[in-house]
Amino acid sequence: MEQVIINGLYLGAQYALIALGLTLIFALMNVLNFAHGQMYVLGGFITYVIYGQLGLPFPLAVICSGLTLAAVGSVIERFLFAPVIKRSAREESTMLLAAAVAFFLDAIILLLFGEKQRGVPKIINGVFVSDSIVMPYDRIVVGVVAMAMIVAFMLYMQYSKPGRAMRALAQDRTAAQLMGVNVDRYSTIGFALGAMLAGLVGGLLVSITGVNSGIGGSISIKAFLMVMIGGAGVVGGAIAGGFILGMMESVGLTLLRNFGDVTYLVIFALLMIFLSIRPHGLMGKPWG
Amino acid sequence: MTDLLTLTDVELYYDHVYALKGVSLSVREGETVALIGANGAGKSSILRAITGLKKISKGEIRYRGQRIDNLPSDEIVRLGISMVPEGRRVFPYMSVRDNLLMGAFTRTDKAEINRTLELVLARFPRLKERYSQAAGTMSGGEQQMLVIGRALMSKPKLLLLDEPSLGIAPKVVQDIARSIVSINRDDKVSVLLVEQNSRMALRISQRAYALSTGNVVLSGDSSDLLNDERVQKVYLGAEV
Repeated sequence: MEQVIINGLYLGAQYALIALGLTLIFALMNVLNFAHGQMYVLGGFITYVIYGQLGLPFPLAVICSGLTLAAVGSVIERFLFAPVIKRSAREESTMLLAAAVAFFLDAIILLLFGEKQRGVPKIINGVFVSDSIVMPYDRIVVGVVAMAMIVAFMLYMQYSKPGRAMRALAQDRTAAQLMGVNVDRYSTIGFALGAMLAGLVGGLLVSITGVNSGIGGSISIKAFLMVMIGGAGVVGGAIAGGFILGMMESVGLTLLRNFGDVTYLVIFALLMIFLSIRPHGLMGKPWG
Repeated sequence: MTDLLTLTDVELYYDHVYALKGVSLSVREGETVALIGANGAGKSSILRAITGLKKISKGEIRYRGQRIDNLPSDEIVRLGISMVPEGRRVFPYMSVRDNLLMGAFTRTDKAEINRTLELVLARFPRLKERYSQAAGTMSGGEQQMLVIGRALMSKPKLLLLDEPSLGIAPKVVQDIARSIVSINRDDKVSVLLVEQNSRMALRISQRAYALSTGNVVLSGDSSDLLNDERVQKVYLGAEV
């Protein structure tokens, strides 16, 4: 039992970070970033190159993943999403653009890094063993770092001036503009921050699960699941959604072991029932 | 008295429908000026033009002699123009405190910001009672106090108010009117007030402009307009 909970927390922390990035971009710009999973994968490959191939320290590699994705995110926002939002009256335009960006990143990643599954040397060897829990040390480190990042992100959004400006922007764009918030600049910052979170998780997790150019789409789907569970555009919702999905996956893998690979089938079925009862998720309100 | 703000022949349209058809008006230093007129007369469009929320198609807007009609909104706020939008528009899921701090977004000196915060809380003690409450859960009158306080947090020279009495209990409207007078008189902030409650607007302003379908049709001292037969008939609903 303890083992299942610990596994769930470990998964949940990473998932929550992925969902936070997605929900931030949605809250600020009303953009469903279908390319979120591909951004995660790109982050994974950057850490693979810097830590796995060049042999530089792992923390440095993860930071580089985050920074590269922040740069990629701000370029994508500035030159693709911002002009489309400005010119198009239809909201679907940004969805199509996001899908196009996803395909584009998929192609670029395949071209640069190939189709092979890539792994890196373990960051820490050894396994923590107690009466009821068995957990490799590297998973513990990754889980703790992920949780620390969630806390740091929340503190930043809650107490820093840019964080407050982004919350204001999400709640009332015009009013934020009247307060002197440069709406264009903060949209770019928000998008970059969301992409950075995806890159950071991708970099962190390459040390456990490795990375492979084909997993972007399924990561995006998981991210959307979490955001739907929690309620789109809400910090608390993304975190709740992340941990709920992590727990369900962990419990499902244990309980449904004997029925084959049906965990996600069950999760999707439950989600459909849940959304028909609560279409806005657990906390259906904009950014708080 | 010198002109703080002048609009000259300003035209503005939405989707090829003109909202302003050559409006000229001015606000002098220290004045409270009222814009009255029916729904759709163009009152709010004037405020949107001044704050840069909507670009004008012709004419010019000057603030202290400097042209501002081509500046983005955030720079206009930095120059000392602050607006209270129609329908209040608090940040509903933010605390009263965070709403007020957002008002000081363009300022950097923390000690100075705290001084202004103290002044705003002293002016609206209700906000102090609700300090940590989410703004969206407060009453309409409290929200109106909050957005006026939020606008004052940027330390404006010119305060633009869009329909501050709309949807607010009559007793609270009196309080709001008194606050506006005091902000103008005691804090030396010039005020441009858009109101459908023309009687209140004319009572607390020194000068006024009456608008109709995108044009200024009447202007003058508010006390004169208050007694003007045409104004009484059209804007004050009096039986003449």
